[in-house]
Amino acid sequence: MADTKVVSEVTGSVWKVLVAVGDSVEADSPVVLIESMKMEIPVLAPDSGVVTEILVATGDPISEGQAVIALKT
Amino acid sequence: MTIEAKLNELATRKAKALGMGGAEKLANRRAEGNLNARERIDALLDAGSYVESGLYATSHIQEVREKTPADGKIAGYGKIDGRSAAVVSNDMTVMGASSSVVNGKKIRHMREVASKNGMPLIFLGESTGARMPDRMGAQGRAILGQDPAEYQRLRQSPWVSALLGSCYGSSTWYACMSDFVVMRKGAQMAVASSRVTSMAINQPVDAEELGGWKLHCETTGLADLAVDSDEQAIAAIKRFLSYLPSHHNEPSPEHDVSAGADENSKKILDIVPADGSKVYDVRKVVATIADPGSVFETKARFGKSLSTSLIRLQGRTVGILANNPMFKGGAIDVDACNKAISFLVLCDSFNIPIVFLVDQPGFLIGLEGERRAAPSKIINWMNALSLVTVPKISVIMRKSYGQAYLNMGGGRNSDEVICWPTADLGFMAPEVSVNVLYGVKKEEDPARYAELLQQVTRDTSAWNLAALYETHDVIDPRDTRSCLVSMLDVHRKRMGSEVGRHLLSNWPTSY
Repeated sequence: MADTKVVSEVTGSVWKVLVAVGDSVEADSPVVLIESMKMEIPVLAPDSGVVTEILVATGDPISEGQAVIALKT
Repeated sequence: MTIEAKLNELATRKAKALGMGGAEKLANRRAEGNLNARERIDALLDAGSYVESGLYATSHIQEVREKTPADGKIAGYGKIDGRSAAVVSNDMTVMGASSSVVNGKKIRHMREVASKNGMPLIFLGESTGARMPDRMGAQGRAILGQDPAEYQRLRQSPWVSALLGSCYGSSTWYACMSDFVVMRKGAQMAVASSRVTSMAINQPVDAEELGGWKLHCETTGLADLAVDSDEQAIAAIKRFLSYLPSHHNEPSPEHDVSAGADENSKKILDIVPADGSKVYDVRKVVATIADPGSVFETKARFGKSLSTSLIRLQGRTVGILANNPMFKGGAIDVDACNKAISFLVLCDSFNIPIVFLVDQPGFLIGLEGERRAAPSKIINWMNALSLVTVPKISVIMRKSYGQAYLNMGGGRNSDEVICWPTADLGFMAPEVSVNVLYGVKKEEDPARYAELLQQVTRDTSAWNLAALYETHDVIDPRDTRSCLVSMLDVHRKRMGSEVGRHLLSNWPTSY
């Protein structure tokens, strides 16, 4: 088991958080939607795992490379 | 000596050479789950087709001749799915497949024969680098550099590399000159091994971090594909070559068309949302356009906002460059630029028509891109595109903004430009352009904002482009496959026997 921080690839703001602590997620499934460049761009889980922490809230500004959730993979 | 005695000597020498580095080393490899160099050749080539060149070559140094069967790099010719190919397979059981004077001559001969006679060349890589002590001291320097074309790449025939273990020296250099690189997970490619690097910089270095598959598939882009086993790597090589001609003066091979292609293409409206703010995975679109089961994506983990794949359309190879809104909204970053250029080079060098599937909000602007020389990548791409002589078709599905409109084949940068009715053409997103051009923000003057938004939105439609004959047709997205089949037929290079001019044949594919 490893702790993985899931990061946004784009700068923007948090549009929706799609998961909650304790949820199981599959690899490549969307966990957060970022509003950027007038699009809703998903942040995808790099591996399957269980959500251990939500690091952002709706409306938060987000930078490229910033962690949005933590996963136990 | 009688002829019988001479034949006995031949048999003895042959058995010794075929024994490679000895039974114990071969057994160890087998126990580790690795094929040996000869088993890899057997897996690659059609049964019974292999002819070896240099079985009796050894080190030029008398004292180590006995322990250098085939001098550690096994070379020869054979057939892959009935087509001729040349192969170099590194034998780690013989002095770590290190590079020497004699095995360098073997590689050179394979390169020359493959180029001159129009055969793909496959490097099955696993090597430790320069052979020591042969290359030490000034005397060691003197044996280097005897072939000024050693690192010259003119793409007369396709080169493919498999990275199947520790790859330093020649396996690395040839991978960086190859048209397709497959890497087995657990293999490493680097300038020097983690041990040597660690000693040089006086700190611990993790081999996987230094040159593992994630680095090369996701960060450097030097590998196209990662697989779990030697067998999968060899299957990937065969599949890649099935899309390519054997040499640059031949059109790509034709295959049968599997059933169901036209039905698949009707699913396209379920994949692409008409609302430009919603994203989707463009690879699903590519799958509906291609002959069923024919999509072969390259560098899938690198520069993901642009997906590149070889596909077949009506049995013929086509190269697809497709913006992928699923990643970074389809904004084109530096990695995607490098990936696009290397794919244009591949397609143009081997007579593969190019199709752009366009849905991009522009180049990804920001500090990171500028630090990585984004402007030069954008213009290298345009320069490469202007030198392409294979047919080019651009399909504008949704957004095509900014300079990237040209990079993705807009204007006269393609032979034919096709729009979907959802095409949205402008310098930037309409909402952004209201702010930038008129300084009007939605929250401050909603009525004026709405009026200006309507104005700029109308101006970005496909119809205005069509009226000016800058798009040659506006089509129902479900007709994309049939439209491409027709247009690629129209733009076939009949007078050149479907062979281009290959003006990109000596461009690098790694950056």
